Amino acid sequence: MENLLPLAALLLAPFAQAAGRGDEAAVRAAIEARFGAALHADIPALERLLADDLDYCSYLGTCQTKGQYIGDIESGVLKYQAITSKTDKVKLFADTAVALGRVDVTATRNGEPRSLHIAWTAVLAWRAGRWQLTTWSSTSIDPEAK
Amino acid sequence: MKTRRTTLPAALIVLAALLSGTCLAKDNSREAALRAAEIARFEANVNADAAALERLLDAGLEYSHSNGKLDGKSSFIASVKDGSLDYLSTEPTIQGLRIFGDVGVIRGLAKVRVSMDGKTSEFTIGYSDVWLWKDGRWQMTEWRSTRLPDAPPK
Repeated sequence: MENLLPLAALLLAPFAQAAGRGDEAAVRAAIEARFGAALHADIPALERLLADDLDYCSYLGTCQTKGQYIGDIESGVLKYQAITSKTDKVKLFADTAVALGRVDVTATRNGEPRSLHIAWTAVLAWRAGRWQLTTWSSTSIDPEAK
Repeated sequence: MKTRRTTLPAALIVLAALLSGTCLAKDNSREAALRAAEIARFEANVNADAAALERLLDAGLEYSHSNGKLDGKSSFIASVKDGSLDYLSTEPTIQGLRIFGDVGVIRGLAKVRVSMDGKTSEFTIGYSDVWLWKDGRWQMTEWRSTRLPDAPPK
């Protein structure tokens, strides 16, 4: 019987992990942590908060992988000066969360300043005991944005 | 007893393998169903097929247009039905499709010719949408699109 314990633990592990995933507040906290890490160019935090299969699509419709997005922040190509965010809604579906919100961003890309008002949709997955961003899509809701 | 000790774990491993095979088949079939639902939804928009949209859209839909306007399921279907939002043509290209449990996420591009409140315009959007597997079918619960810059003249 004792031989079956590791197998039982393996089979029950997903349920134990799911039980710790928290509620909407945990999703909101992960989103805020992600914005904070981007603002402070905190690469180790971004590594934890972004899923390896991240699909990060900007308001321009261009999409980046996790490595490309982090690379832009690490190299200084993308520098955030200010981020003010608001998560309007979170929908939880087992180990997946969908969130909607808005964010005001002041940043430079390749040295060019940008000030944007963005509406966004994010999909997060509960993996390795934490919420990780897997999909980001956004729309500029400022018609003057370049 | 020795036989039981080795047979039971082996049987469980075989069972786990069979279940994972079943899950894989389910994922493949759900992926195909999701692609089909996406195409059907674009077609339903162009055909102003309110009955199809009722099936394909989740009651909790949030439809964020490329101009920032937000619709719910009923307001979106109403505007398609009364012609204030008239999709004249759409040419979607699915660029990515992922499934997380009962949630599907699609990313793509679409050439859209649309008449809104009588004003016709043509543009390309980048979009992402989120679908839920509910009641034995995919239903779209989120839509977000962003208008792409016009292609430079050739």
